[in-house]
Amino acid sequence: MAEREMAHRLFAGEFNDSSFQVGQGADIPAEQELHSPNFLVTRAGAKVNRLFIAGVVTEVEDIGNQKGAEKELWKARISDPTGTFTLYSGNYQPEASVFLSTLEVPSYVTVVGKVRSYEPGDGSVFVSIRPEEINHADEGIRNRWVVETARLTLDRLDVFEAVLSSGMKDTGLIEFLSRMDIPSYLKEGICLALDHYHTDLTYLNELKGNIRNALETIGKGSSSKPGFQSDVDGLILYLLEEMNDGRGVEYPVLVKEACSRDMPAEAVETAVRSLLSRGHVYEPKVSFLRLVR
Amino acid sequence: MDERNASHAEELSRAFGNEYKEEIKAELEKLLSFKVPLEEAKKTVINKFMLKSSSAVHVKDLVAGMSGFEITGRITGIEEKDVIVKDEHRTIFSGSLADATGICSFTCWDDMSLKEGEVVRIRNAYVRVWNNRMELYFGKRSTVEVLPDDHLQEMDTSSLSGPKKLEDISPADVHASSSVVIIEMYHRDIPLKGKVRTIVEGVVADETGKLPFTAWIPLKGIDIGSFIRFENAAVRVFRGVPSMNFNESTVIGLIEETHDLPFTLRSAIQAPEPLPVSRVLEKNGIFDAIVIGDVISVRPGSGMIERCPVCNRVTQKSNCRAHGQVDCIPDMRIKMIIDDGTGSLHVMLNSELSESIYGKSMYEAEKMVRDSISRDAVFEDMRRKLTGKYIAVRGNSSRSEFGVTLVARSAWYPEYDLKERIGSLLRRIDGEGER
Repeated sequence: MAEREMAHRLFAGEFNDSSFQVGQGADIPAEQELHSPNFLVTRAGAKVNRLFIAGVVTEVEDIGNQKGAEKELWKARISDPTGTFTLYSGNYQPEASVFLSTLEVPSYVTVVGKVRSYEPGDGSVFVSIRPEEINHADEGIRNRWVVETARLTLDRLDVFEAVLSSGMKDTGLIEFLSRMDIPSYLKEGICLALDHYHTDLTYLNELKGNIRNALETIGKGSSSKPGFQSDVDGLILYLLEEMNDGRGVEYPVLVKEACSRDMPAEAVETAVRSLLSRGHVYEPKVSFLRLVR
Repeated sequence: MDERNASHAEELSRAFGNEYKEEIKAELEKLLSFKVPLEEAKKTVINKFMLKSSSAVHVKDLVAGMSGFEITGRITGIEEKDVIVKDEHRTIFSGSLADATGICSFTCWDDMSLKEGEVVRIRNAYVRVWNNRMELYFGKRSTVEVLPDDHLQEMDTSSLSGPKKLEDISPADVHASSSVVIIEMYHRDIPLKGKVRTIVEGVVADETGKLPFTAWIPLKGIDIGSFIRFENAAVRVFRGVPSMNFNESTVIGLIEETHDLPFTLRSAIQAPEPLPVSRVLEKNGIFDAIVIGDVISVRPGSGMIERCPVCNRVTQKSNCRAHGQVDCIPDMRIKMIIDDGTGSLHVMLNSELSESIYGKSMYEAEKMVRDSISRDAVFEDMRRKLTGKYIAVRGNSSRSEFGVTLVARSAWYPEYDLKERIGSLLRRIDGEGER
């Protein structure tokens, strides 16, 4: 019996950084391989087939009937505090497509989906999600997802760090991992990541830094609901409201206006980034900002 | 031959009293070199050497798949059972057999008028795994010979089933002994061979866990909160969870001095700690577990359903697969998948739990079905309401061909202290940064 693939928790930053896809196993006959799931292995050792995410849909685009595309195809961008997931929903995901076609942007959603990757042939790899389930969510659900994803990612990073500091390789490494009381998918993912990416401590620490930022941004947001952390946040939200002419506000214009009100440019930049990652503000297009309602 | 296979070869040799050690190893090696799957290879070797071997095996050497061997032991318990095999009623005899090396449960397909306490030699028996444990089988094609009582010396079977903590009692155990407190208990009348018999069912607990029990004997002076020591309870397996059966051969005594025990009634009835799904998936069954995670899918079959009034099976278009066209009883349920990032678990909620989690009564749900003329209306609404929600469930888990399922006894939306958790994770990141 094939066990159901579990839904991994993964931040967009780590997800998008991945380029290594593997099948179930090397010695499976071709016939079975058709039915065996594909996995994406991330640099930090997650071996993912299905994932569960919560975030803000910032953009939905109907890209059906385009050259080379499926007849019906919707593209959505879903942001978390570390980056943005790309989601494609086509003919075989009718429910998700209907959901996206009527979705007001921006809004909070949860998605359960399968990993897809596309290699244009120039060595680059684009990873995306095919939705199985998509549903409306709220800020509470998103915040809890960030915390749980942070916890599970840190658990994995702890194991990876232990592996790196053990200095073990090949069979020694397998023996080292088999002595640890951890699930087999973790052991496998870490071995594959080490083998393919040669992940080092610097990368893991970088990820940790991102997780730290993610936790801090949502921590701030939830500490003083529904108000905002600082006066800068408040001013920017006020300006975005006032200056919005329908298309949003162009970033340089916003900075200029804020500076004219004695606000240092760096503070504006920090606040905008934080508001973006907390999902209070989004970019309808590049360098335009708009309030999330 | 690598180490792992060598250990299998050794296991096989042991089963034949180390008589054909080298031959067995060579044979197994040969089969494996032809890429015969290990399990199949072992079976083949067993069959081959079984014909050669006239030597009898002992209980501890029994391996699933063995057949045609001889075994001698004392029957330490036997009972008649009525079962249905291929739509046919059949009486089988089920019990346990012990020798100096161990004890195993057996099934005898035919009436051989065996009695408890008899020493028997069985030729042409076989072993299969049943309910996660080794089961010895014999029947018409076997020859069973009752030997004089002194053929085997009287055995102290209690040494084979010494006292254990509840978490250590596994489906592989045949008998169990332990010191526990009774935390649930109720009487039930069941029809047995045309007569109504009252049995006692309930739950026992110690500091390591809880297990269900059934008493076929009266429990005098024992009630909820009683501390008891039981010896030689028969272990049955129900849905992957071991269940203690107290019968005529079980010795039960009240424990007077309870303050030496590592648990009290209060500590024993406490709710268990929530388990990660990965831990639940490792086991064939867990009695009373709490799992917290996200609802990642509400499965088809959820919502308003209809059941057969006779057998309670879910019906399709008023048709029960056992009773044909029936007057159905409406029911509501939720089948969902809970995932906490360590694994996926199927969870079943009955109508009461569905009402509280879904937030609509069955009456309202029935009205929705009538108003929309579609049974799926409730299912679709449940999906919108529940998918992506964080939920806690408590109940018993068991493994089946569809994976591991937890049947909930309670379900709720748990508290989540976001600030506290963020704080502790940040401390964790920073604490490690200092190292």
